[in-house]
Amino acid sequence: MSAEPERRQRLLQMAAGAAFLALAMVLVLIIVNSSGSGGDPEHIEGKAGVDRLLAAIPQQGMVLGDPKAPVTLIEFGDLQCPVCAGYAREILPPIIENPVKKGEVKLEFRNFTIIGEESVPAGAAALAAGEQGRGWHYIELFYRNQAAERSGYVTDEFMEAVAIAAGVENLGKWNQDRRRRTDEVEKTTEAAKQLGFSGTPTFLVNGPGTKGLEPLGTPESTGALEEAIEAAR
Amino acid sequence: MKTKGLPSEWTLQRAIAFVAALGIGVATYIAIADSGGGSPVCIAGSHGCATVAKSSYSHLAGVNIAVFGIVGYALLLATAFFANDAARFGGFVLALGGFGYSVFLTYLEIFKIEAICQWCVASAVLMTILFALNATRLIGYAGTEERARPLERRA
Repeated sequence: MSAEPERRQRLLQMAAGAAFLALAMVLVLIIVNSSGSGGDPEHIEGKAGVDRLLAAIPQQGMVLGDPKAPVTLIEFGDLQCPVCAGYAREILPPIIENPVKKGEVKLEFRNFTIIGEESVPAGAAALAAGEQGRGWHYIELFYRNQAAERSGYVTDEFMEAVAIAAGVENLGKWNQDRRRRTDEVEKTTEAAKQLGFSGTPTFLVNGPGTKGLEPLGTPESTGALEEAIEAAR
Repeated sequence: MKTKGLPSEWTLQRAIAFVAALGIGVATYIAIADSGGGSPVCIAGSHGCATVAKSSYSHLAGVNIAVFGIVGYALLLATAFFANDAARFGGFVLALGGFGYSVFLTYLEIFKIEAICQWCVASAVLMTILFALNATRLIGYAGTEERARPLERRA
């Protein structure tokens, strides 16, 4: 049996070319997918992480945690706000995983829409998800799938995709509720302005150790939030 | 012919056929589980398979990617039945594509879907083995003449 060196060399060259092409294609696919453009209703990301984070924590409306928890932490946020999204990813998880999960703190989200008009329907959609016990799933997933502010990504299609990923079961009711609750978004936004807030996220804490609601501003770390919680106990 | 230090092409063909058949089984299970509106069952009560199956990445143009997997494994199986350059090069290119796509899917599972489906991992491992086998076959036997009918046991 005789080998044919030329044919062999040509085949191996073609194979090397194919391997190079495949490597390039995989890298391009990974880079394109890691760019995290967000706002894509076809690819709502982070569902598994959000499900893990919020597993077995009770939710009522926009309140996460045991309703009888002695300390209440209130977040005024805007779903289009990238700083709020950063908070959701980096700073709040340890609070949710410890004092909230242990029933020591309850976390309440209130809309404070400062980014743009699209923040109002986005916030109302979260409230509507809250009526089905999925408000915090909605918030967390929205934050994890944000696109650039005011880029027009907050469409009905995107909000519905987030609702589905959040586990909202009755989409018909959710659609009715979200249209009905835009007034409430405007009311909490007005309340935040009355309190003198100017940015998001802004936090308030209330507990046995505080004299009513105490503003915290925008704590820069999980540790700062933990200290405020400890003082409020 | 047996190249020094390498298994015979006949051995490689048999190994490719065996692993590709396993791959067809894995991909078929995933596709059947999805077609019934469900998802593959992960062992030890993990929810990773359901999470991955329900993610938007599990379908391409409305077709479950496991179906493409079945086609890919079937074509790889077919290449194992021929001992010529077309089969060697075709098998290499198919396995390379499958391996590359498996790397991408594993990336998606870890960093985007944030869940691991054991069946998908099994398929990725099988595709990696097939890539290694087909690369070995091509490097070891490219350019050699067709001399035996497929999977024909030689004396």
